[in-house]
Amino acid sequence: MRAGTILRTVWLIVAVGFMLLPVYAMLVVASAPDDTDLRGLVFNGFHLPENIRVLFGEGNLPTYLRNSLILCVGTGALDVLFSAAAGYAMAQLSFPGRRVLFALVIGTLALTPMVLVIPVFLIVKELGWVNTFQGMMVPGMISAFGVFLVRQFALGIPKELLLAARADGAGEFRIFARIAVPLLKPALITLFLVHFLGQWDNLLWPLIVANEQELWPLPVGLANFQSEVGFTYHLTTTAALVTAVPPFILMVALQRYYVAGLTFGGLKR
Amino acid sequence: MSVLGRVRARPQATAGVLGRGRARPEATAGVALTLPVAVFFVVFWLVPFLAAIYLSFTDYEMAGTPNWIGLANYERMFADPGFLNSAWITVVYTVCTVVPTIVLALLVAVPLSRPGRLNRGLRALVMIPAVMPLAATSMVWVIIYSDRGLANTLLGLVGIDPQSWLTSSDLAIWALVVMVVWKSMGLFVIILTAGLQALPGEVYEAAAIDGSGAVTTFTRPTLPLLRRTLLFVLVISVAGSMQAFVPAFLLTGGGPADATQVLPYYIWANAFPYEHMGYAAAMGMVLLAAMVIVSALQFGFLKGGDE
Repeated sequence: MRAGTILRTVWLIVAVGFMLLPVYAMLVVASAPDDTDLRGLVFNGFHLPENIRVLFGEGNLPTYLRNSLILCVGTGALDVLFSAAAGYAMAQLSFPGRRVLFALVIGTLALTPMVLVIPVFLIVKELGWVNTFQGMMVPGMISAFGVFLVRQFALGIPKELLLAARADGAGEFRIFARIAVPLLKPALITLFLVHFLGQWDNLLWPLIVANEQELWPLPVGLANFQSEVGFTYHLTTTAALVTAVPPFILMVALQRYYVAGLTFGGLKR
Repeated sequence: MSVLGRVRARPQATAGVLGRGRARPEATAGVALTLPVAVFFVVFWLVPFLAAIYLSFTDYEMAGTPNWIGLANYERMFADPGFLNSAWITVVYTVCTVVPTIVLALLVAVPLSRPGRLNRGLRALVMIPAVMPLAATSMVWVIIYSDRGLANTLLGLVGIDPQSWLTSSDLAIWALVVMVVWKSMGLFVIILTAGLQALPGEVYEAAAIDGSGAVTTFTRPTLPLLRRTLLFVLVISVAGSMQAFVPAFLLTGGGPADATQVLPYYIWANAFPYEHMGYAAAMGMVLLAAMVIVSALQFGFLKGGDE
Protein backbone atom coordinates (compact mmCIF):
# COMPACT_ATOMS: atom_id res chain seq x y z
CA MET A 1 0.00 0.00 0.00
CA ARG A 2 2.70 2.43 1.05
CA ALA A 3 4.93 1.35 -1.89
CA GLY A 4 1.92 1.97 -4.16
CA THR A 5 1.56 5.54 -2.93
CA ILE A 6 5.24 6.27 -3.50
CA LEU A 7 5.16 4.70 -6.96
CA ARG A 8 2.07 6.72 -7.87
CA THR A 9 3.66 9.96 -6.68
CA VAL A 10 6.89 9.31 -8.57
CA TRP A 11 4.96 8.48 -11.75
CA LEU A 12 2.88 11.65 -11.48
CA ILE A 13 5.90 13.87 -10.91
CA VAL A 14 7.78 12.29 -13.84
CA ALA A 15 4.74 12.51 -16.14
CA VAL A 16 3.90 16.11 -15.28
CA GLY A 17 7.61 16.94 -15.54
CA PHE A 18 7.65 15.62 -19.11
CA MET A 19 4.50 17.59 -19.90
CA LEU A 20 6.20 20.76 -18.69
CA LEU A 21 9.57 20.12 -20.33
CA PRO A 22 8.74 21.75 -23.70
CA VAL A 23 7.31 24.77 -21.87
CA TYR A 24 10.53 25.02 -19.86
CA ALA A 25 12.59 24.65 -23.05
CA MET A 26 10.57 27.49 -24.56
CA LEU A 27 11.43 29.74 -21.60
CA VAL A 28 15.13 28.85 -21.86
CA VAL A 29 15.48 29.41 -25.62
CA ALA A 30 13.31 32.55 -25.51
CA SER A 31 15.73 34.00 -22.93
CA ALA A 32 18.89 33.06 -24.81
CA PRO A 33 21.27 35.78 -26.06
CA ASP A 34 21.72 34.07 -29.47
CA ASP A 35 21.26 30.82 -31.38
CA THR A 36 24.29 28.93 -30.11
CA ASP A 37 22.52 26.74 -27.55
CA LEU A 38 19.15 25.36 -28.64
CA ARG A 39 18.95 22.44 -26.23
CA GLY A 40 16.62 24.38 -24.00
CA LEU A 41 17.98 22.80 -20.83
CA VAL A 42 20.22 25.37 -19.15
CA PHE A 43 19.59 29.11 -18.91
CA ASN A 44 22.43 31.10 -20.50
CA GLY A 45 21.67 34.38 -18.80
CA PHE A 46 18.21 35.92 -18.91
CA HIS A 47 17.87 37.98 -22.08
CA LEU A 48 14.12 37.73 -22.42
CA PRO A 49 13.49 41.47 -21.90
CA GLU A 50 16.05 42.40 -24.58
CA ASN A 51 14.62 39.83 -26.99
CA ILE A 52 11.12 41.18 -26.45
CA ARG A 53 12.43 44.71 -27.01
CA VAL A 54 14.03 43.64 -30.30
CA LEU A 55 10.79 42.03 -31.47
CA PHE A 56 8.71 45.05 -30.54
CA GLY A 57 11.24 47.46 -32.02
CA GLU A 58 12.11 45.88 -35.36
CA GLY A 59 9.43 43.35 -36.19
CA ASN A 60 5.70 43.45 -36.80
CA LEU A 61 4.88 41.63 -33.59
CA PRO A 62 3.03 44.65 -32.09
CA THR A 63 0.80 44.78 -35.19
CA TYR A 64 0.04 41.06 -34.97
CA LEU A 65 -0.67 41.35 -31.26
CA ARG A 66 -3.01 44.29 -31.81
CA ASN A 67 -4.83 42.48 -34.64
CA SER A 68 -5.24 39.34 -32.54
CA LEU A 69 -6.65 41.36 -29.65
CA ILE A 70 -9.13 43.19 -31.92
CA LEU A 71 -10.17 39.89 -33.48
CA CYS A 72 -10.57 37.95 -30.26
CA VAL A 73 -12.14 40.60 -28.05
CA GLY A 74 -14.38 41.86 -30.87
CA THR A 75 -15.78 38.53 -32.02
CA GLY A 76 -15.80 37.21 -28.44
CA ALA A 77 -18.03 40.08 -27.28
CA LEU A 78 -20.36 39.70 -30.27
CA ASP A 79 -20.57 35.94 -29.77
CA VAL A 80 -21.49 36.45 -26.11
CA LEU A 81 -24.13 39.06 -26.99
CA PHE A 82 -25.83 37.12 -29.80
CA SER A 83 -25.50 33.69 -28.20
CA ALA A 84 -26.92 35.02 -24.92
CA ALA A 85 -29.97 36.42 -26.72
CA ALA A 86 -30.54 33.36 -28.91
CA GLY A 87 -29.69 30.77 -26.27
CA TYR A 88 -32.05 32.36 -23.73
CA ALA A 89 -34.88 32.70 -26.24
CA MET A 90 -34.48 29.12 -27.43
CA ALA A 91 -34.59 27.81 -23.86
CA GLN A 92 -37.33 29.97 -22.35
CA LEU A 93 -39.54 31.60 -24.97
CA SER A 94 -41.96 29.99 -27.37
CA PHE A 95 -41.91 31.49 -30.82
CA PRO A 96 -42.39 30.28 -34.37
CA GLY A 97 -39.34 28.60 -35.89
CA ARG A 98 -37.72 27.65 -32.61
CA ARG A 99 -37.35 23.98 -33.49
CA VAL A 100 -36.01 24.70 -36.96
CA LEU A 101 -33.43 27.06 -35.54
CA PHE A 102 -32.36 24.54 -32.92
CA ALA A 103 -31.93 21.88 -35.61
CA LEU A 104 -29.88 24.34 -37.66
CA VAL A 105 -27.59 25.10 -34.71
CA ILE A 106 -27.10 21.44 -33.80
CA GLY A 107 -26.53 20.53 -37.44
CA THR A 108 -23.69 23.04 -37.78
CA LEU A 109 -21.88 21.50 -34.80
CA ALA A 110 -21.11 18.52 -37.03
CA LEU A 111 -19.73 20.48 -40.00
CA THR A 112 -16.01 20.68 -40.54
CA PRO A 113 -14.46 24.03 -41.50
CA MET A 114 -12.70 22.28 -44.38
CA VAL A 115 -16.09 22.01 -46.10
CA LEU A 116 -17.15 25.57 -45.39
CA VAL A 117 -14.02 27.66 -46.01
CA ILE A 118 -14.32 27.52 -49.81
CA PRO A 119 -17.91 28.79 -50.17
CA VAL A 120 -17.53 31.18 -47.21
CA PHE A 121 -14.48 32.65 -48.92
CA LEU A 122 -16.54 33.12 -52.11
CA ILE A 123 -19.30 34.85 -50.11
CA VAL A 124 -16.78 37.11 -48.38
CA LYS A 125 -15.23 37.89 -51.76
CA GLU A 126 -18.67 38.72 -53.16
CA LEU A 127 -19.22 41.11 -50.22
CA GLY A 128 -15.89 42.80 -51.01
CA TRP A 129 -14.54 41.82 -47.59
CA VAL A 130 -11.28 40.13 -48.64
CA ASN A 131 -8.39 41.81 -46.80
CA THR A 132 -10.63 43.55 -44.27
CA PHE A 133 -11.24 43.14 -40.57
CA GLN A 134 -14.91 42.37 -41.15
CA GLY A 135 -13.88 39.62 -43.55
CA MET A 136 -11.72 38.06 -40.87
CA MET A 137 -14.20 38.60 -38.06
CA VAL A 138 -17.78 38.17 -39.27
CA PRO A 139 -17.75 34.55 -40.53
CA GLY A 140 -16.42 33.27 -37.20
CA MET A 141 -18.44 35.63 -35.08
CA ILE A 142 -21.11 33.29 -33.72
CA SER A 143 -20.47 29.68 -32.81
CA ALA A 144 -22.98 26.88 -32.60
CA PHE A 145 -21.12 25.88 -29.45
CA GLY A 146 -21.96 29.24 -27.85
CA VAL A 147 -25.66 29.16 -28.66
CA PHE A 148 -25.86 25.57 -27.46
CA LEU A 149 -23.92 26.28 -24.25
CA VAL A 150 -26.13 29.23 -23.30
CA ARG A 151 -29.30 27.34 -24.20
CA GLN A 152 -28.39 24.39 -21.97
CA PHE A 153 -27.56 26.76 -19.15
CA ALA A 154 -30.72 28.86 -19.67
CA LEU A 155 -32.92 25.75 -19.37
CA GLY A 156 -32.06 25.93 -15.67
CA ILE A 157 -33.61 29.37 -15.13
CA PRO A 158 -36.76 28.84 -13.03
CA LYS A 159 -39.95 29.61 -14.98
CA GLU A 160 -41.51 31.20 -11.87
CA LEU A 161 -38.94 34.01 -11.98
CA LEU A 162 -39.98 34.95 -15.48
CA LEU A 163 -43.70 34.55 -14.74
CA ALA A 164 -43.39 36.77 -11.68
CA ALA A 165 -41.60 39.44 -13.69
CA ARG A 166 -44.27 39.31 -16.39
CA ALA A 167 -47.00 39.59 -13.76
CA ASP A 168 -45.23 42.72 -12.52
CA GLY A 169 -45.54 44.10 -16.02
CA ALA A 170 -41.91 43.82 -17.12
CA GLY A 171 -41.40 43.62 -20.88
CA GLU A 172 -39.68 40.64 -22.50
CA PHE A 173 -36.48 42.50 -23.35
CA ARG A 174 -36.28 43.92 -19.87
CA ILE A 175 -36.68 40.42 -18.42
CA PHE A 176 -33.88 39.19 -20.65
CA ALA A 177 -31.52 42.02 -19.75
CA ARG A 178 -32.31 42.32 -16.04
CA ILE A 179 -33.10 38.76 -14.99
CA ALA A 180 -31.68 36.30 -17.53
CA VAL A 181 -28.31 37.91 -18.30
CA PRO A 182 -27.18 38.13 -14.65
CA LEU A 183 -28.17 34.50 -14.11
CA LEU A 184 -26.36 33.42 -17.28
CA LYS A 185 -23.15 35.19 -16.31
CA PRO A 186 -21.05 32.06 -15.57
CA ALA A 187 -22.01 30.54 -18.94
CA LEU A 188 -21.26 33.82 -20.71
CA ILE A 189 -17.81 34.11 -19.12
CA THR A 190 -17.09 30.50 -20.10
CA LEU A 191 -18.22 31.23 -23.64
CA PHE A 192 -16.06 34.35 -23.92
CA LEU A 193 -13.04 32.43 -22.69
CA VAL A 194 -13.55 29.46 -25.02
CA HIS A 195 -14.19 31.79 -27.94
CA PHE A 196 -11.14 33.93 -27.17
CA LEU A 197 -8.82 30.93 -26.90
CA GLY A 198 -10.16 29.38 -30.10
CA GLN A 199 -9.94 32.59 -32.08
CA TRP A 200 -6.48 33.38 -30.68
CA ASP A 201 -5.29 30.16 -32.27
CA ASN A 202 -7.21 30.50 -35.54
CA LEU A 203 -4.72 30.20 -38.39
CA LEU A 204 -6.72 28.81 -41.31
CA TRP A 205 -9.28 31.56 -41.85
CA PRO A 206 -7.03 34.66 -41.55
CA LEU A 207 -4.51 32.85 -43.76
CA ILE A 208 -7.16 32.50 -46.45
CA VAL A 209 -8.85 35.87 -46.21
CA ALA A 210 -6.02 38.28 -45.26
CA ASN A 211 -3.04 38.64 -47.58
CA GLU A 212 -1.92 41.97 -46.21
CA GLN A 213 0.60 41.84 -43.41
CA GLU A 214 -1.08 44.84 -41.73
CA LEU A 215 -4.09 42.60 -40.97
CA TRP A 216 -2.35 39.43 -39.84
CA PRO A 217 -3.11 38.09 -36.38
CA LEU A 218 -0.42 36.26 -34.40
CA PRO A 219 -0.75 32.72 -35.87
CA VAL A 220 -0.29 33.98 -39.44
CA GLY A 221 2.48 36.30 -38.31
CA LEU A 222 4.27 33.42 -36.58
CA ALA A 223 3.93 31.26 -39.69
CA ASN A 224 5.72 33.97 -41.71
CA PHE A 225 8.20 34.81 -39.02
CA GLN A 226 11.24 33.74 -41.04
CA SER A 227 10.88 36.77 -43.28
CA GLU A 228 10.67 39.14 -40.32
CA VAL A 229 13.81 39.96 -38.40
CA GLY A 230 15.83 37.40 -40.28
CA PHE A 231 15.11 33.93 -38.98
CA THR A 232 16.63 33.32 -35.59
CA TYR A 233 15.56 30.42 -33.43
CA HIS A 234 15.68 32.28 -30.15
CA LEU A 235 13.63 35.27 -31.37
CA THR A 236 11.05 32.95 -32.95
CA THR A 237 10.75 31.25 -29.57
CA THR A 238 10.39 34.62 -27.86
CA ALA A 239 7.56 35.45 -30.27
CA ALA A 240 5.90 32.10 -29.47
CA LEU A 241 6.20 32.93 -25.77
CA VAL A 242 4.60 36.35 -26.27
CA THR A 243 1.75 34.59 -28.14
CA ALA A 244 1.23 32.18 -25.28
CA VAL A 245 1.03 34.84 -22.55
CA PRO A 246 -2.48 36.32 -23.05
CA PRO A 247 -4.24 32.92 -23.07
CA PHE A 248 -2.22 31.96 -20.03
CA ILE A 249 -3.26 35.10 -18.12
CA LEU A 250 -6.91 34.56 -19.02
CA MET A 251 -6.72 30.93 -17.97
CA VAL A 252 -5.20 31.79 -14.59
CA ALA A 253 -7.81 34.49 -13.96
CA LEU A 254 -10.74 32.36 -15.08
CA GLN A 255 -9.57 28.82 -14.31
CA ARG A 256 -12.95 27.62 -13.06
CA TYR A 257 -14.70 28.76 -16.24
CA TYR A 258 -11.98 27.22 -18.39
CA VAL A 259 -12.54 23.78 -16.91
CA ALA A 260 -16.31 24.26 -17.18
CA GLY A 261 -15.93 25.06 -20.87
CA LEU A 262 -13.68 22.08 -21.54
CA THR A 263 -15.90 19.61 -19.79
CA PHE A 264 -19.20 20.96 -21.12
CA GLY A 265 -20.86 18.01 -22.80
CA GLY A 266 -18.50 15.55 -21.21
CA LEU A 267 -20.06 15.40 -17.78
CA LYS A 268 -23.48 14.20 -16.84
CA ARG A 269 -25.85 17.11 -16.66
CA MET B 1 -63.33 30.96 -35.13
CA SER B 2 -59.86 29.80 -34.33
CA VAL B 3 -59.88 31.67 -31.04
CA LEU B 4 -63.17 30.02 -30.08
CA GLY B 5 -61.81 26.63 -31.00
CA ARG B 6 -58.76 27.17 -28.93
CA VAL B 7 -60.71 28.33 -25.88
CA ARG B 8 -63.05 25.37 -26.11
CA ALA B 9 -60.15 22.95 -26.38
CA ARG B 10 -58.78 24.06 -23.04
CA PRO B 11 -60.65 23.31 -19.84
CA GLN B 12 -59.46 26.49 -18.06
CA ALA B 13 -60.75 29.04 -20.56
CA THR B 14 -59.47 32.17 -18.80
CA ALA B 15 -55.97 30.86 -18.41
CA GLY B 16 -55.97 30.02 -22.10
CA VAL B 17 -57.04 33.51 -23.11
CA LEU B 18 -54.52 35.12 -20.76
CA GLY B 19 -51.87 32.80 -22.10
CA ARG B 20 -52.61 33.90 -25.63
CA GLY B 21 -52.46 37.53 -24.60
CA ARG B 22 -48.97 36.95 -23.25
CA ALA B 23 -47.85 34.74 -26.09
CA ARG B 24 -47.68 37.61 -28.56
CA PRO B 25 -44.96 39.73 -26.93
CA GLU B 26 -43.17 36.51 -26.01
CA ALA B 27 -43.16 35.36 -29.64
CA THR B 28 -42.05 38.79 -30.84
CA ALA B 29 -39.20 38.83 -28.33
CA GLY B 30 -38.26 35.27 -29.22
CA VAL B 31 -38.01 36.10 -32.90
CA ALA B 32 -36.16 39.38 -32.27
CA LEU B 33 -33.62 37.80 -29.92
CA THR B 34 -32.86 34.92 -32.27
CA LEU B 35 -33.02 36.78 -35.58
CA PRO B 36 -29.33 37.80 -35.78
CA VAL B 37 -28.23 34.25 -35.02
CA ALA B 38 -30.73 32.78 -37.49
CA VAL B 39 -29.58 35.11 -40.29
CA PHE B 40 -25.95 34.39 -39.44
CA PHE B 41 -26.37 30.62 -39.52
CA VAL B 42 -28.23 30.76 -42.80
CA VAL B 43 -25.67 33.03 -44.50
CA PHE B 44 -22.45 31.56 -43.09
CA TRP B 45 -23.38 27.91 -42.49
CA LEU B 46 -26.44 26.69 -44.37
CA VAL B 47 -25.85 28.51 -47.67
CA PRO B 48 -22.12 27.67 -47.74
CA PHE B 49 -22.88 24.04 -46.95
CA LEU B 50 -25.35 23.80 -49.84
CA ALA B 51 -22.91 25.72 -52.04
CA ALA B 52 -20.12 23.29 -51.14
CA ILE B 53 -22.31 20.35 -52.18
CA TYR B 54 -23.04 22.10 -55.47
CA LEU B 55 -19.39 23.08 -56.07
CA SER B 56 -18.30 19.50 -55.51
CA PHE B 57 -20.17 18.56 -58.71
CA THR B 58 -18.52 21.33 -60.74
CA ASP B 59 -15.13 22.15 -62.22
CA TYR B 60 -15.01 25.57 -60.51
CA GLU B 61 -11.51 27.10 -60.58
CA MET B 62 -12.08 30.56 -59.02
CA ALA B 63 -11.66 32.29 -62.36
CA GLY B 64 -14.61 31.60 -64.64
CA THR B 65 -17.98 30.03 -63.95
CA PRO B 66 -18.70 26.60 -62.46
CA ASN B 67 -19.71 23.92 -64.97
CA TRP B 68 -21.66 20.89 -63.83
CA ILE B 69 -19.51 17.79 -64.29
CA GLY B 70 -21.51 15.26 -62.28
CA LEU B 71 -19.47 12.80 -60.28
CA ALA B 72 -16.22 13.50 -62.15
CA ASN B 73 -14.52 15.06 -59.09
CA TYR B 74 -15.36 12.03 -56.98
CA GLU B 75 -14.09 9.65 -59.64
CA ARG B 76 -10.93 11.70 -60.08
CA MET B 77 -10.22 11.46 -56.35
CA PHE B 78 -9.92 7.71 -56.31
CA ALA B 79 -7.38 7.80 -59.13
CA ASP B 80 -5.43 10.71 -57.60
CA PRO B 81 -2.29 9.48 -55.78
CA GLY B 82 -2.16 12.79 -53.89
CA PHE B 83 -5.63 12.22 -52.45
CA LEU B 84 -5.07 8.55 -51.67
CA ASN B 85 -1.77 9.40 -49.97
CA SER B 86 -3.44 12.15 -47.92
CA ALA B 87 -6.33 9.94 -46.91
CA TRP B 88 -3.95 7.22 -45.73
CA ILE B 89 -1.77 9.70 -43.82
CA THR B 90 -4.87 11.10 -42.14
CA VAL B 91 -5.88 7.60 -40.99
CA VAL B 92 -2.39 6.88 -39.61
CA TYR B 93 -2.16 10.33 -38.02
CA THR B 94 -5.61 10.05 -36.41
CA VAL B 95 -5.12 6.56 -34.97
CA CYS B 96 -1.58 7.30 -33.77
CA THR B 97 -2.51 10.57 -32.08
CA VAL B 98 -5.85 9.54 -30.54
CA VAL B 99 -4.93 6.20 -28.96
CA PRO B 100 -1.69 7.20 -27.16
CA THR B 101 -3.17 10.53 -26.08
CA ILE B 102 -6.16 8.92 -24.39
CA VAL B 103 -4.18 6.08 -22.82
CA LEU B 104 -1.49 8.41 -21.46
CA ALA B 105 -4.07 10.96 -20.31
CA LEU B 106 -5.93 8.23 -18.40
CA LEU B 107 -2.71 6.98 -16.81
CA VAL B 108 -2.05 10.50 -15.52
CA ALA B 109 -5.64 11.51 -14.74
CA VAL B 110 -6.54 8.52 -12.55
CA PRO B 111 -3.85 9.08 -9.88
CA LEU B 112 -4.04 12.87 -10.36
CA SER B 113 -7.76 13.00 -9.53
CA ARG B 114 -7.11 11.84 -5.96
CA PRO B 115 -7.30 14.53 -3.29
CA GLY B 116 -4.15 16.04 -1.79
CA ARG B 117 -2.15 19.22 -1.87
CA LEU B 118 0.56 17.88 -4.23
CA ASN B 119 -2.09 16.70 -6.70
CA ARG B 120 -3.84 20.06 -6.60
CA GLY B 121 -0.56 21.74 -7.49
CA LEU B 122 0.17 19.27 -10.29
CA ARG B 123 -3.35 19.72 -11.67
CA ALA B 124 -2.69 23.46 -11.97
CA LEU B 125 0.63 22.81 -13.76
CA VAL B 126 -1.00 20.48 -16.30
CA MET B 127 -3.11 23.40 -17.48
CA ILE B 128 -0.04 25.25 -18.76
CA PRO B 129 0.62 23.00 -21.79
CA ALA B 130 -3.14 22.70 -22.33
CA VAL B 131 -3.59 26.44 -22.74
CA MET B 132 -0.58 26.96 -25.05
CA PRO B 133 -1.82 28.12 -28.46
CA LEU B 134 -1.18 25.50 -31.15
CA ALA B 135 0.59 28.04 -33.36
CA ALA B 136 3.03 28.93 -30.57
CA THR B 137 3.42 25.25 -29.65
CA SER B 138 4.31 24.41 -33.24
CA MET B 139 7.00 27.10 -33.38
CA VAL B 140 8.51 25.81 -30.12
CA TRP B 141 8.56 22.25 -31.46
CA VAL B 142 10.32 23.44 -34.61
CA ILE B 143 13.15 24.42 -32.25
CA ILE B 144 12.85 21.19 -30.26
CA TYR B 145 13.19 19.19 -33.49
CA SER B 146 16.05 21.28 -34.86
CA ASP B 147 19.47 19.62 -35.29
CA ARG B 148 20.77 20.88 -31.97
CA GLY B 149 17.41 20.90 -30.23
CA LEU B 150 15.94 19.19 -27.20
CA ALA B 151 14.77 16.03 -29.03
CA ASN B 152 18.28 15.18 -30.28
CA THR B 153 19.79 16.17 -26.93
CA LEU B 154 17.54 13.71 -25.08
CA LEU B 155 18.30 10.98 -27.62
CA GLY B 156 22.01 11.71 -27.14
CA LEU B 157 21.63 10.96 -23.41
CA VAL B 158 20.60 7.39 -24.26
CA GLY B 159 23.23 7.07 -26.98
CA ILE B 160 21.10 7.49 -30.11
CA ASP B 161 22.45 9.52 -33.05
CA PRO B 162 20.82 12.86 -33.85
CA GLN B 163 17.93 12.68 -36.35
CA SER B 164 16.59 15.20 -38.83
CA TRP B 165 13.05 15.06 -37.51
CA LEU B 166 11.22 17.40 -39.83
CA THR B 167 13.16 16.83 -43.03
CA SER B 168 13.19 13.04 -43.10
CA SER B 169 10.17 11.60 -44.90
CA ASP B 170 10.19 8.60 -42.55
CA LEU B 171 10.28 10.59 -39.34
CA ALA B 172 8.33 13.79 -40.06
CA ILE B 173 4.87 12.30 -39.52
CA TRP B 174 5.97 10.82 -36.17
CA ALA B 175 7.41 14.18 -35.17
CA LEU B 176 3.96 15.70 -35.75
CA VAL B 177 2.29 12.84 -33.87
CA VAL B 178 4.52 13.28 -30.80
CA MET B 179 3.87 17.02 -30.70
CA VAL B 180 0.11 16.60 -31.03
CA VAL B 181 0.01 13.86 -28.37
CA TRP B 182 1.87 16.20 -26.03
CA LYS B 183 -0.39 19.13 -26.86
CA SER B 184 -3.71 17.27 -26.49
CA MET B 185 -2.65 15.34 -23.42
CA GLY B 186 -2.84 18.34 -21.12
CA LEU B 187 -6.36 19.10 -22.32
CA PHE B 188 -7.55 15.52 -21.90
CA VAL B 189 -5.95 15.12 -18.47
CA ILE B 190 -8.02 18.12 -17.32
CA ILE B 191 -11.24 16.79 -18.82
CA LEU B 192 -10.72 13.25 -17.51
CA THR B 193 -9.69 14.51 -14.07
CA ALA B 194 -12.87 16.58 -13.87
CA GLY B 195 -14.85 13.52 -14.94
CA LEU B 196 -13.17 11.32 -12.35
CA GLN B 197 -13.69 13.84 -9.58
CA ALA B 198 -17.39 13.96 -10.41
CA LEU B 199 -17.74 10.21 -9.78
CA PRO B 200 -19.50 9.28 -6.54
CA GLY B 201 -17.03 8.61 -3.70
CA GLU B 202 -19.06 5.73 -2.24
CA VAL B 203 -18.10 3.54 -5.18
CA TYR B 204 -14.47 3.73 -4.15
CA GLU B 205 -15.26 3.14 -0.49
CA ALA B 206 -17.16 0.01 -1.49
CA ALA B 207 -14.28 -1.12 -3.68
CA ALA B 208 -11.82 -0.52 -0.85
CA ILE B 209 -13.99 -2.52 1.58
CA ASP B 210 -14.10 -5.33 -0.97
CA GLY B 211 -10.31 -5.21 -0.94
CA SER B 212 -9.97 -4.36 -4.65
CA GLY B 213 -6.47 -3.49 -5.82
CA ALA B 214 -5.66 -0.44 -7.91
CA VAL B 215 -6.09 -2.28 -11.21
CA THR B 216 -9.43 -3.94 -10.43
CA THR B 217 -10.78 -0.69 -8.99
CA PHE B 218 -9.87 0.93 -12.29
CA THR B 219 -11.36 -1.74 -14.56
CA ARG B 220 -14.54 -2.35 -12.54
CA PRO B 221 -16.11 0.75 -11.07
CA THR B 222 -14.00 3.52 -12.62
CA LEU B 223 -13.87 2.72 -16.32
CA PRO B 224 -17.60 1.99 -16.84
CA LEU B 225 -18.63 5.07 -14.84
CA LEU B 226 -16.28 7.19 -16.86
CA ARG B 227 -17.76 6.00 -20.15
CA ARG B 228 -19.56 9.25 -20.90
CA THR B 229 -16.44 11.38 -20.37
CA LEU B 230 -14.34 8.92 -22.37
CA LEU B 231 -16.79 8.99 -25.25
CA PHE B 232 -16.63 12.79 -25.24
CA VAL B 233 -12.83 12.82 -25.23
CA LEU B 234 -12.71 10.18 -27.96
CA VAL B 235 -15.16 12.03 -30.19
CA ILE B 236 -13.47 15.41 -29.89
CA SER B 237 -9.97 13.98 -30.32
CA VAL B 238 -10.88 11.94 -33.41
CA ALA B 239 -12.70 14.90 -34.94
CA GLY B 240 -9.79 17.19 -34.06
CA SER B 241 -7.21 14.86 -35.63
CA MET B 242 -9.23 14.33 -38.80
CA GLN B 243 -9.45 18.10 -39.30
CA ALA B 244 -5.92 18.96 -38.19
CA PHE B 245 -4.33 21.53 -40.48
CA VAL B 246 -2.06 23.69 -38.31
CA PRO B 247 0.69 21.18 -37.32
CA ALA B 248 1.29 20.09 -40.93
CA PHE B 249 1.20 23.69 -42.13
CA LEU B 250 3.56 25.08 -39.51
CA LEU B 251 6.01 22.24 -38.89
CA THR B 252 6.52 20.66 -42.28
CA GLY B 253 4.41 22.43 -44.90
CA GLY B 254 3.01 19.01 -45.82
CA GLY B 255 6.48 17.75 -46.72
CA PRO B 256 9.00 16.33 -47.07
CA ALA B 257 7.78 14.69 -50.30
CA ASP B 258 4.13 14.89 -49.16
CA ALA B 259 4.93 12.66 -46.16
CA THR B 260 2.86 14.84 -43.80
CA GLN B 261 0.25 15.98 -46.28
CA VAL B 262 -2.84 15.22 -44.21
CA LEU B 263 -6.18 15.53 -45.99
CA PRO B 264 -7.13 18.97 -44.58
CA TYR B 265 -3.79 20.29 -45.83
CA TYR B 266 -4.33 18.75 -49.27
CA ILE B 267 -7.84 20.25 -49.44
CA TRP B 268 -6.53 23.68 -48.47
CA ALA B 269 -3.66 23.47 -50.98
CA ASN B 270 -6.02 22.48 -53.78
CA ALA B 271 -8.59 25.15 -52.91
CA PHE B 272 -6.39 28.17 -52.29
CA PRO B 273 -2.92 28.14 -53.77
CA TYR B 274 -4.07 26.03 -56.76
CA GLU B 275 -7.69 27.28 -56.98
CA HIS B 276 -9.15 23.85 -57.81
CA MET B 277 -12.20 24.76 -55.77
CA GLY B 278 -14.64 22.25 -57.23
CA TYR B 279 -12.25 19.38 -56.62
CA ALA B 280 -11.36 20.62 -53.14
CA ALA B 281 -15.07 20.92 -52.28
CA ALA B 282 -15.59 17.30 -53.32
CA MET B 283 -12.71 16.18 -51.09
CA GLY B 284 -14.21 18.24 -48.25
CA MET B 285 -17.46 16.32 -48.70
CA VAL B 286 -15.61 13.01 -48.46
CA LEU B 287 -13.87 14.18 -45.29
CA LEU B 288 -17.20 15.29 -43.82
CA ALA B 289 -18.82 11.96 -44.69
CA ALA B 290 -15.91 10.10 -43.10
CA MET B 291 -16.21 12.20 -39.94
CA VAL B 292 -19.96 11.61 -39.67
CA ILE B 293 -19.54 7.85 -40.14
CA VAL B 294 -16.69 7.63 -37.63
CA SER B 295 -18.62 9.62 -34.97
CA ALA B 296 -21.70 7.47 -35.50
CA LEU B 297 -19.58 4.35 -35.04
CA GLN B 298 -18.07 5.72 -31.84
CA PHE B 299 -21.47 6.56 -30.38
CA GLY B 300 -22.81 3.16 -31.39
CA PHE B 301 -19.83 1.35 -29.98
CA LEU B 302 -19.77 3.08 -26.60
CA LYS B 303 -23.54 3.40 -26.18
CA GLY B 304 -23.98 -0.28 -27.06
CA GLY B 305 -22.44 -1.27 -23.75
CA ASP B 306 -25.17 0.49 -21.77
CA GLU B 307 -27.76 -2.28 -21.96
